[in-house]
Amino acid sequence: MTTFTVPMFVRGRLITDDLVPFASRLDHSFQAPDPVKHVHALPLRSPSDMADLYAVSFGEIVDVLTELGAALAFERNAYVQEAYEACLVSNPMPESILRTGYVALPAMFTRESMRELAEAQIGIDHLEGWVPRRLLDGREIRVRAFGARTLHIPAGNGGLVAGITVLRNALTRSDAIIKAPSNDPLTAMAIARTLADIAPDHPITKHLAVAYWKGGDEQLEEQLYKPEHIEKIIAWGGFASVKHVTRYIQPGLELIALDPKRSATIIGPEAFEDEDTLREVAMRAACDIGAGNQEGCVNARVIYVLSGTDEAGLAKANRLGRLVYESMLGLPDFISTTPKVVDPTLLDNVEGSRLTEDWYRVFGGEHAEGAIIVSQLDEPVHYSTLLSGRVANIVPVDSIDKVTEAVNAYTQTIGIYPESLKVRLRDTLSLFGAQRLTSLGYAASVNFTIPQDAMEPVRRMCKWIVEERCSPDQVLPLWQSPGLTPIRTTM
Amino acid sequence: MTTQSVQTFMNSPLTYFGESITSMHSIARAELEELQCEAMILRFAEHRQSIEMVRKLAERLGITAVDKFDDIVPLMFSHTAYKAYPAALIDNNRWDLMTRWLGKLTTYDLSQVDVAGCDSIDEWLDRLETQTPLQIVTSSGTTGTFSVIPKDVPITIEGMHIWKNMVFQTFGREPTEDELNPVVDVIWPNFSEGRFGMTRMVPWMKREFTGGDESRFHPLYAGAMDTDLMFLANKMRAAAAKGELNRLQLDPKLAARKDELIAMQQRQMTEVPEFIARMTNQLRGKRVFMTSTYNLMYNLASAGLDEGARAQFASNSAILTGGGAKGQVLPEGYMDVIREFYGGVRIQEGYAFSEHNGVHFACDEGRYHLQPWVIPFILEPESSRPLPRAGRKTGRFAVYDVVNQSHWGGVITGDEVTIDWDRPCPCGRNSLALEHSIMRFSEKNEGQDDKISCAATHEVHNEAIDFLREFQS
Repeated sequence: MTTFTVPMFVRGRLITDDLVPFASRLDHSFQAPDPVKHVHALPLRSPSDMADLYAVSFGEIVDVLTELGAALAFERNAYVQEAYEACLVSNPMPESILRTGYVALPAMFTRESMRELAEAQIGIDHLEGWVPRRLLDGREIRVRAFGARTLHIPAGNGGLVAGITVLRNALTRSDAIIKAPSNDPLTAMAIARTLADIAPDHPITKHLAVAYWKGGDEQLEEQLYKPEHIEKIIAWGGFASVKHVTRYIQPGLELIALDPKRSATIIGPEAFEDEDTLREVAMRAACDIGAGNQEGCVNARVIYVLSGTDEAGLAKANRLGRLVYESMLGLPDFISTTPKVVDPTLLDNVEGSRLTEDWYRVFGGEHAEGAIIVSQLDEPVHYSTLLSGRVANIVPVDSIDKVTEAVNAYTQTIGIYPESLKVRLRDTLSLFGAQRLTSLGYAASVNFTIPQDAMEPVRRMCKWIVEERCSPDQVLPLWQSPGLTPIRTTM
Repeated sequence: MTTQSVQTFMNSPLTYFGESITSMHSIARAELEELQCEAMILRFAEHRQSIEMVRKLAERLGITAVDKFDDIVPLMFSHTAYKAYPAALIDNNRWDLMTRWLGKLTTYDLSQVDVAGCDSIDEWLDRLETQTPLQIVTSSGTTGTFSVIPKDVPITIEGMHIWKNMVFQTFGREPTEDELNPVVDVIWPNFSEGRFGMTRMVPWMKREFTGGDESRFHPLYAGAMDTDLMFLANKMRAAAAKGELNRLQLDPKLAARKDELIAMQQRQMTEVPEFIARMTNQLRGKRVFMTSTYNLMYNLASAGLDEGARAQFASNSAILTGGGAKGQVLPEGYMDVIREFYGGVRIQEGYAFSEHNGVHFACDEGRYHLQPWVIPFILEPESSRPLPRAGRKTGRFAVYDVVNQSHWGGVITGDEVTIDWDRPCPCGRNSLALEHSIMRFSEKNEGQDDKISCAATHEVHNEAIDFLREFQS
């Protein structure tokens, strides 16, 4: 398949006419309905059209989503298979890893995990009704989490992002317009079409639209990105795309930015206590680097090792480097493979480092299969921002201060070994910008129930509405303030 | 073929070809290849002894001698080799370690170079150049470092001599005295001195073209381009890309120069119209040599035309342009604008990169004909394996430059080029040529802005720099 069609899904209805061609980064093209011609169909006509979502219970929404999850089974669902095939030609990830994502998709929609997500991030009672509370000043409040009219710009690295987008939208009783990414053009569509097949007239189907347009198409965006159509934009991804969206942000239109991130690793001196430990640490680090071929923001890129920088320390770091490289090559292909696409500029720089033996030791990389560069000083390579395609940099350091210097607002996950070091560092790393500290080896093992990018996006996707009851004998009435002049009548 | 003639070819190619560019590009392919191969064998034997990084690489690969062209490919350096040092060495003023690193890339012994008390890049370069025959060319990198290429005085002089012959001679005609030894005015739309990229050539250009007459050299900007400032700019870009601009530790001496740059920038506002006036009035009818990148040539030409002015140099003047668009988008028909402003003067296009010697000039067919001392290779972009030297091939350009005496001649570029190995160019030159469209691999995939993955990629962050620049002003 070198060309395919990305239809427009509008609240259960499929638009497949007025096709225009689009090109993508890899050598393929696809076609989609002319977005400018059909943009008017995307937004909800009136906020009052959200009312149908409140006629169904949370339990019923979960029931439909559970059925949806079961219907997404890769081997039985032709839409999902088509989405996978489209990714094969439009996404840099290899077949085996893409497949892993699709196979995992149904598990996201199991009843227990959806309830856990809703409970942890919002509270099901707040989704279901008005939750009362009495405040110190005597007022009684009732708070409810309402859905919002949203636009999602999900990342295209793996089908799970499309899955979580649909899921979050339905659980919060929101209305979503999903802009499909060019590197995963059909997964959100496949989920939407499956939903329409099993529950064609259900409100959660009626509050889902999926379309492709080229990111940055201002003619379209200016019509759509307005407070009268959309209340919140949830944008994943690169700096340029997130920055671009900010131009439309104004009172009434909020941005939830799941913006570009990088991740790191910190390994304590305990890793070198014995050979078995070192091998396990190397394997865990290899997973953090190699999973999904280092395409994700969660993957390890620069790995700080508290080995010291004297001769013995460098020898330890180099030994770790070799073991990480070997472990990475041994990862099964549903986790990691030789990358399909590599950044030639990165490889050029790796070759430069290879020649510079005084400061760098390079393991592998001669066949673009991935490489581990071990710095022979306490500095990462100057091209650390380019690290991708299973190329990581191990940096030996004498003190933890050198590591905290490297953590900033772009740092997402930090995998740490051992646990005690993590506990010791957690209060400090958070100040510098780190957002998720996890056990070494689990960086790429993502659970969507936890906070993401230092916030709770699902909580933010809701509108938190309050109803207050203040009775004058409980809450001081302003009109009974001392010194208030009563109205004098002249009759 | 005598050993002596091979030595002449590899040490002074212009002498070998009797100072005639027609001879240079008329030599039969088979004869040239034999000469090149012989020179390559000799040069490798020499550099394996005298350049530590070449020796180490050869040892690692178990190569003691080369015999045919493709044997040299595994020994080539990536163009990044010249900037592979840790940037922290510069921040920490570790010029001793920088010198030690550079010493491994050149034939010269740098172990005695005194760098005590050195506290800037320019000073370090000064020390190297006053204490050794090195002439260092630096060029900017996008990741916060810059390349340091250890050329030397003899090759710099030879290089300028070749330039002069290339720009004034005409292929197919034996050179006249007027073409061999012209003394002309040099128009240099650039900083009047500096070490960064082409500005390194200024003193040598003056010497070669103006007969040493300082008044015949016409730079656009009076100031010197400061290497430390360029490094600062690079560092700011790199820090911004990492979201660490707030943590950028600046040497106060260096930080003070930021204002200097701003002042220089402001001065440039008046220098441009003055320069255009000088070109169109004072230099009217004069025989000149002018060289610059396309976009500077274009900017000057369009500014001049807006004022209704035209440069009217003597018709035997020479203009050399090239250098790609350097990240700037040139409007369609930019060459027409350039031609209109510069009138009837021959405008030649050249392709070059600092890691080797020689500008390769475009013929009337628009192909860049390779200078005879440069052995070209087309590599399969990912594996870096050489593609067969037959048919029309596109891939990564690599060269072995047999002339490079002070540093290694094998370099793998970041450029994608096309060579037709079989069909001779209709222009009449026998030399191999690169087709006109040359692209940097690093720029190849840009312009696709909706491919989103949540990892912060370098190119994405570069776009942030524009934002930061706005933010800072």
